[in-house]
Amino acid sequence: MVEEERMYAIEVENLVKKFGDFEAVKGVSFKVKKGEIFAFLGPNGAGKTTTVHILTTLLKPTSGKAVVAGYDVVEDAREVRKRIGIVFQDPSVDRDLTAYENMLVHGGVYGLKGRELKEKIEELLKFVELWEFRNKLVKFFSGGMQRRLEIARSLLHHPEVLFLDEPTLGLDPQTRAHVWSYIEAMKEEQEMTIFLTTHYMEEAEKLADRVAIIDHGRIIAEGTVEDLKKLVGSDVVYLKVENGAECFETDFGSCVVLPDGRIRIDVSNASKAIPRIFEAAEKRGVKILEITYHRPTLNDVFLHLTGREIRDEGGNLMKGVIRARMRR
Amino acid sequence: MRAFEIMVYRQVKRFLRARSRVAGMIINPLVWLAFFGIGWSNAFRDTSIFGGVDYLTYLSPGIFAMTVFNQSFVSGISVIWDREFGFLKEVLVAPASRKETIAGRIFGDSAVATIQGAIILSFTMLIAKINILGVIPALGVGFVLAVAFSSFGVSIAARMRSMEGFQMIMALVMLPLIFLSGAIYPIAFMPSWMKALALINPLTYAVEASRVLLTGVSGIFPLHQSLLILLILTAVMLYIAMVSFERSTVE
Ligand SMILES: Nc1ncnc2c1ncn2[C@@H]1O[C@H](COP(=O)(O)OP(=O)(O)O)[C@@H](O)[C@H]1O
Ligand SMILES: [Mg+2]
Repeated sequence: MVEEERMYAIEVENLVKKFGDFEAVKGVSFKVKKGEIFAFLGPNGAGKTTTVHILTTLLKPTSGKAVVAGYDVVEDAREVRKRIGIVFQDPSVDRDLTAYENMLVHGGVYGLKGRELKEKIEELLKFVELWEFRNKLVKFFSGGMQRRLEIARSLLHHPEVLFLDEPTLGLDPQTRAHVWSYIEAMKEEQEMTIFLTTHYMEEAEKLADRVAIIDHGRIIAEGTVEDLKKLVGSDVVYLKVENGAECFETDFGSCVVLPDGRIRIDVSNASKAIPRIFEAAEKRGVKILEITYHRPTLNDVFLHLTGREIRDEGGNLMKGVIRARMRR
Repeated sequence: MRAFEIMVYRQVKRFLRARSRVAGMIINPLVWLAFFGIGWSNAFRDTSIFGGVDYLTYLSPGIFAMTVFNQSFVSGISVIWDREFGFLKEVLVAPASRKETIAGRIFGDSAVATIQGAIILSFTMLIAKINILGVIPALGVGFVLAVAFSSFGVSIAARMRSMEGFQMIMALVMLPLIFLSGAIYPIAFMPSWMKALALINPLTYAVEASRVLLTGVSGIFPLHQSLLILLILTAVMLYIAMVSFERSTVE
């Protein structure tokens, strides 16, 4: 393929991955344009990491085709590897080495050396604000510092396509915002394509040019954040009513009863719809205790599509990470 | 060659960091030397069964080989930890040749194991009758031995999916191979089934060769023959490790 003509950094067609009988990825297809941030948003176990591992040549797909940076991930794995960088979901730093040595080893594995490597390491450690800690052993780093080191490391060989698998998993909100600012700066300065997975709605909303929502191994919606929100309607109204919650006939939009007993109605314009909702309720003798509304979030989109919320299971995952470390 | 070089660097750096772990690995062979060696040395009055040297001197090259063997095998198998802690994924996703990368790790580990062997050897020289001129060549033998057994460790680790079998493998490999190597008692007096096992144990040839070099006592093979067999076995084991690692995945 001629370089100039290639519009897409990632092209995936009908990708399937089975682990024994269990199908973790059930035929996903999508394309990521060069230079954009594309997010895979989905709950735990949706198949995000599995997809990333296939795209980064660590796992072989059961069937389907994936082309990354112009090369097939199965046939031309080596060419793909030269052009990608990745920050894994689980920590992968060398805890017995310093930050600087971690960078040095990574550079070496990618064939970099000498002055060029040293300058690049300095530039990147400064970029993630770890330069003053460069000679500290990584085992004494906080989770956020380790993450930043991993981000710096993944940029060392200047990849065309960067994969970030849950880059802010388990970080506190402040550190998370910090990492987001690096990702935004990376896109600006390095002109690379970023494929990001996350189960944090705000992360996808904040960073992604386009989002694919993935659930149980399938992409259930794809588009810009705006496109996706239009699936819900423009506003979401929540009602708390006396006695059993039940969806009453409305002509506003889709209506669901949430597990917590509230009723959710998607409307195109909340300020116009609310008086009419009161009217409709009164007609049926339903007493409204509380009414709130907000602009839809990606969580509402997910709820709308699946009837479930994207649960935040970060806490549990962190336990897994800590347990893994304790075993050493 | 850059990936090879940097992996040697990584393994040596990590070793220099982990001083307490190193001390732990050295205490064990010193206990063998001091208590087992000196204890039996006084009990065995007839030195003719040990080729004319006292038992402590006879045992010393065996303990040297044992040290190198233990350390290198444990390092090789610790590739499992790399899998567990993510460094393996770092390597597998890189464009560098996997064969080259793992060979670098094996040679780095072997350098580390040889350094530990040298530390033990310098203690031995204080208490046993060691031929000084044989020390450098014996360290060479130690290095080859280390390559053999870090490779063996890597080959096993590449096939293991979890830490579960770890204890069993250690129990099956470590002590039996030491007893079956002539490190502690002469192969010549073993019953024939045991002798047969000793002859397929690569450790045997390293023990024999370093004993000739360090004490002048020869066993059942001439020096050049032990060296040749050790080199061939090591090359085969290294190759198997490189191929096993190349095929390993994160699944
Ligand atoms: N090596 C494996 N063997 C068996 N099942 C696996 C393996 N890896 C992942 N899975 C399963 O595949 C599904 C998707 O996992 P994963 O891709 O890690 O999801 P996500 O990253 O979206 O949380 C999960 O149900 C998980 O348990
Ligand atoms: Mg995941």
